[in-house]
Amino acid sequence: MGTTLEPRSKRVARFVRERFPIEKLDAQSMIVKKEVPLHKMSWAYYMGGLALFFLLVQIVTGLLLLFYYQPTVSDAHASVATISEHISGGAWIRNLHAWSASAMILTVIVHLFTTFAMKAFAAPRELTWVSGMSLALLVFAFGFTGYLLPWNQIAVNATKVGLQSVEAIGQYLPGELARWPIYVRETIQGEPSVGQATLSRFFAIHVIVLPLLTVGALGVHLLQVQIHGMSRGVDALKVKTEKFFPFFVIKDLSVWGVAFFVVAVVAMCLPFDAFLPYPLLEPYNPLGSTPDGIKPEWYFFFVYYPLELLPYWAVIAGSTVVGGALFLAPWIFARTTRRTLTVLAVAGALYFVVITLFGHAIYEALKGGTP
Amino acid sequence: MIDSFLLVFLLVGLPYVAVLGCIAGSIWRFRSARFSYSALSSQFLEDKSLVLGSLPWHLGIFVVLAGHAVAFLIPRVWAGLVSNPGFLWTVEAIGLAASVLALIGLTTLLVRRLTSGRVQAVTTPIDLTVLALLLAQVVLGILVAVQHSFGAAWATGTVSPYLWSLATLRPNPALVSDLPPLVQAHMALAWVLVLLIPFSRLVHIFSIPIAYLWRAPQLVVWANPRRFQGVEAAVLVPARRYFLRGVAAISVGGALLAAGTAGTFGRFFFGPRPSEKEQTKLDQEKLTRLRQTQREKELTLERARQRYIKIAKVKDLDTKKGRYFIDYEMRAALAFLGDDGLPLFISAKCTHLGCTVASDLDAQGRVLCPCHVSYFDIKTGMPNAGAPAKDPLPHIAWVLMDAKGDVVMRRGADGRTHGDLAPDQAALCDVYIAKREESV
Repeated sequence: MGTTLEPRSKRVARFVRERFPIEKLDAQSMIVKKEVPLHKMSWAYYMGGLALFFLLVQIVTGLLLLFYYQPTVSDAHASVATISEHISGGAWIRNLHAWSASAMILTVIVHLFTTFAMKAFAAPRELTWVSGMSLALLVFAFGFTGYLLPWNQIAVNATKVGLQSVEAIGQYLPGELARWPIYVRETIQGEPSVGQATLSRFFAIHVIVLPLLTVGALGVHLLQVQIHGMSRGVDALKVKTEKFFPFFVIKDLSVWGVAFFVVAVVAMCLPFDAFLPYPLLEPYNPLGSTPDGIKPEWYFFFVYYPLELLPYWAVIAGSTVVGGALFLAPWIFARTTRRTLTVLAVAGALYFVVITLFGHAIYEALKGGTP
Repeated sequence: MIDSFLLVFLLVGLPYVAVLGCIAGSIWRFRSARFSYSALSSQFLEDKSLVLGSLPWHLGIFVVLAGHAVAFLIPRVWAGLVSNPGFLWTVEAIGLAASVLALIGLTTLLVRRLTSGRVQAVTTPIDLTVLALLLAQVVLGILVAVQHSFGAAWATGTVSPYLWSLATLRPNPALVSDLPPLVQAHMALAWVLVLLIPFSRLVHIFSIPIAYLWRAPQLVVWANPRRFQGVEAAVLVPARRYFLRGVAAISVGGALLAAGTAGTFGRFFFGPRPSEKEQTKLDQEKLTRLRQTQREKELTLERARQRYIKIAKVKDLDTKKGRYFIDYEMRAALAFLGDDGLPLFISAKCTHLGCTVASDLDAQGRVLCPCHVSYFDIKTGMPNAGAPAKDPLPHIAWVLMDAKGDVVMRRGADGRTHGDLAPDQAALCDVYIAKREESV
């Protein structure tokens, strides 16, 4: 160790000071002076804003749904049906909530891949990246908890299966520890099987807990983006820039306008059920058999099909490694070139697209047929 | 006779002549005059009304043609989509709006061709012919849409299969011979336009300048010093004006959106106001759900209080089709009649991920868990080899009681039976499940 090394306390202080430079915490540096690079990947700079826009749509439509939704086992399904059938504009609001949720998750995934490929996490933007990863997890948590709320046959059974897979980890734990995953699952559920307690807490998590956490993480994320500006994103030494305000802001808002138009029209014409074989009109019946071929929403396919096809430990190990590497990317990939990162991102995106579009066909090919 | 002969020619002969002529003509033009393989631009000569005409026309006709093409290329998917009234109405509205847009653009272009002296200097007779025919075609299309609306739906059973019959060289004019004359005229004129493509400016359909959309802008300026000053001045337009214009556009858009949807969303907060009939139906559904909830509560209470719970009469049980019931742990279970004429109770909760298994036996006496395809033999409870489930479904203990309420026979969860009863006598009994401390 050389003498140039600072003591740990000073290093921490410097890290924080560089991430939150007090002299830059004003409108002058955060808005007026901010510039956005112009190059062939510039379209990726719109992804984060677009995800934010879809989140705003979710908040507004979610609040409207809250006016009529009733989170009880006996009334949840009927209240959703009432929103769809008897409230003026209700079907559109609900469709918008469903479509915009999918659009938000898709945008977040594209945002993740593009910022990774552009090495946007490099110092001093580590906190932007980590808060962004947390937001990505929150978005998936929103999807999982929101899915249960209509309390229909497919939703309840899919949630049961999803939670039950937590339990499978028990087979690798020794002795009394093997029972712990069961306690974890029952704690999440709030009772031995999925029922009213589960619905109540999933509702609370979806409507209060996750939004609050999201506001926190998003605050850090946006503050960091505005303080440090957009990352340059490409290897070229000289890139043209445009002013963030007003040019980029207006363009960003135009993209939002187009996105809203598209989602609004889609929500008006196509009920979200069009892509799922199970209509809403099938309330959960605890005495019935589980419907055939239940599947989670498309955005969980990337983890669902591996769970179906590979040994459980392999999936757990793989996702721990990938998830950990993603969270710690600013430190793990600090010296990696953009070219390599782009290759990794393209490979990841390719995997995601293939498993999402063809997961079922792959599953049928490998596991199909009656034994 | 003449009539039907003419009709067959228009519906079968003309399409083939048009397509063959179009292909042959395109090859000819590409070989003989390659650099004319596009539309002659007249932007230099007049650019104001060109924008006002060309842009709406191309936008409109692109949307309209795309709609036509989709119905032809994926007729089944399309038929499924337009069976949804909301989707159909939207498609009709978009189609009509786009064709009106195209009509406005085309009219502007025609007026421009006829009134601008500079443009007329480069106008050929075929240009005017094509413009007039296109105008007629768009008007015919709009008339079809207005007089025989929902073409997006009825075309899937008539025009789409007819076009496919032409494309697969098995022409079947009967599919469209009964359509109104207006529609047939629209179709015939379309073939004439196809034929004219290589011999007119329409050939630019094959050399679409798509690259315009993303190539760097090329500002064409005359070599005149005053022009250069103008360009520089334009760059210096203050950012503030740009911002204000953007904000104004967004506010106006938002205000229009709010005004247009105010009626619908004002009533969103007004609450559900179902008709009396709908209210009755809603109440009925609500009652059903409440009864179900009540039933679940009763089941729980019954299991807490009763030492025995009746499942069925033995004679009502079936060897092939199980009856669902809820065991003492409030989990789903299945009741079958075994081959020995005695009840066979087995858990219905899959040992893999807890799905409820189906109730029908297959030929090998197994029930299927539909979630991840495990087959369980109900005699042993064992899953099939290679199934995702590894553990057997447990059997559930039962007791038989005769009409007087005396326990005459019982079977433990381990499968051992206590008591002896002939099957015909057992059939007269009722079968119960017993609380854990009661079962042996």
